[in-house]
Amino acid sequence: MITNRWVMLILALSLLCAAPAVCTEKLSPIETLKKPIEKVTNILHDPAFKNSGKKNDQRNVIWKVAGEMFDFTEISRRTIGKKAWKTFTSEEKEQFIKVFSEFLGNTYISKIQGEYQNEQIIFLNELVRGNIALVRTKLKRASLEIPIDYRMKKIEGNWKIYDVLVENGVSIIKNYHIQFKSILRKESPQQLIERLEKKLVARKS
Amino acid sequence: MKYYLNQFGILIIVLFFLFTGCASQKGAAANPASVKLALNSNQPVQTGVLASASETQEQLSPEEEMLLTDDWADSDDEDNEAELYSIPDPFEKFNRASFYLNDKLYFWVLRPLSAGYRDVVPQKARIGVSNFFQNLKAPIRLVNNILQGKGRAAEAELTKFLYNSTVGILGFANPAKKHPKLNPDPEDLGQTFAVHGLGHGFYLYLPIIGPSSLRDITGATGDYFLNPASHIQPLEASLAAGGVRQINTFSFLIGDYESFKEAALDPYESMRDVYIQLRETKIKR
Repeated sequence: MITNRWVMLILALSLLCAAPAVCTEKLSPIETLKKPIEKVTNILHDPAFKNSGKKNDQRNVIWKVAGEMFDFTEISRRTIGKKAWKTFTSEEKEQFIKVFSEFLGNTYISKIQGEYQNEQIIFLNELVRGNIALVRTKLKRASLEIPIDYRMKKIEGNWKIYDVLVENGVSIIKNYHIQFKSILRKESPQQLIERLEKKLVARKS
Repeated sequence: MKYYLNQFGILIIVLFFLFTGCASQKGAAANPASVKLALNSNQPVQTGVLASASETQEQLSPEEEMLLTDDWADSDDEDNEAELYSIPDPFEKFNRASFYLNDKLYFWVLRPLSAGYRDVVPQKARIGVSNFFQNLKAPIRLVNNILQGKGRAAEAELTKFLYNSTVGILGFANPAKKHPKLNPDPEDLGQTFAVHGLGHGFYLYLPIIGPSSLRDITGATGDYFLNPASHIQPLEASLAAGGVRQINTFSFLIGDYESFKEAALDPYESMRDVYIQLRETKIKR
């Protein structure tokens, strides 16, 4: 009986140990991006969404896949700025994260839905130091190539994007930060959230 | 101001002739060889991202270092941040008016023209036209590389110019594109000023021209004289060439401005920041 218990215990322990072993076999930053981007590409090519009436469905499916790649809490905190973020109530923070991620998704997914036909993403390399990484890619068009770099951070073992750099250093997050900062100088967090909501609604209609 | 511009103009013209002098001499003697060299030495490194001239490679790692180090978001110091990422905009009213004007010009004139042009002219031809104008601007890039002390890049620009002008049939094709060593970062006079320590001064958004700064518009004026297309006679022909270039460029970009506007809460402010960020990254390279 005792031996039985021991066996059980060892089995349980080994299972416990095995689980992290599986988990530590985590994807590298570049691999983390390759799979979902490939999925998005497939969705974009999927004939099921060819009909223009299906564009909204397609956007939702893409959003499900693409949204996973980003850390919207970190993105929100950075666009607002650390100091100002502290002045947001937790409810405002939550509202902001929700509306801003939707705003970003909506903006950029519509763009790739419209333009994808003649574009191609080439993965170049990844630079990793500690829990920060940079994945470098190129967006290839007929006449030009646009370098796009993804800044990533390891959060709970998974790499998530927190900033996108266009043309080797133009930060999308910084750009929003500049805009939001000047809005927040004159308006309350609530008003900023409303602005984003309004713009979203205007787009949907 | 005008006096300075004049002086600058003369300086640049003198420099230009100096360099074109050297260029044609050196070019005749050394270039076929250097093209070959560039082609050969390029093959093994082509798979890597860092496949560029060793000079730029040295510059690239600090740049990658910079991209990787994220100083901005980890600093709590808002004042420091404000200093880093803003530019004085004393003429905001005027600038916003020009922004409004250019916005209308884009939707009413430039977009319909470019779209019409895109529908009529096949893509291959448009890429050819774009290559042609890019190739013509080689003197600007060459002179500014020299002014910034970037010898390797200057050599690469010269090689590329000769290669594309001959093998690439007057620059309509861009065979040099395949060789990373022959594609250094494009330099201009605004960047040269910056490398020598001159700041932006203040932001300017100009009718037709678009975003700029005191420093960069001064630089662009100097560069203008280095562009062979500026010297086409009569003036109308020169302007027409400029128009074709503009329409050709925009034929590839239709929709980009619209998306940019869609993505912004304040397009004017967003554009200003993109401009400043873009110039900063170019100066660092």
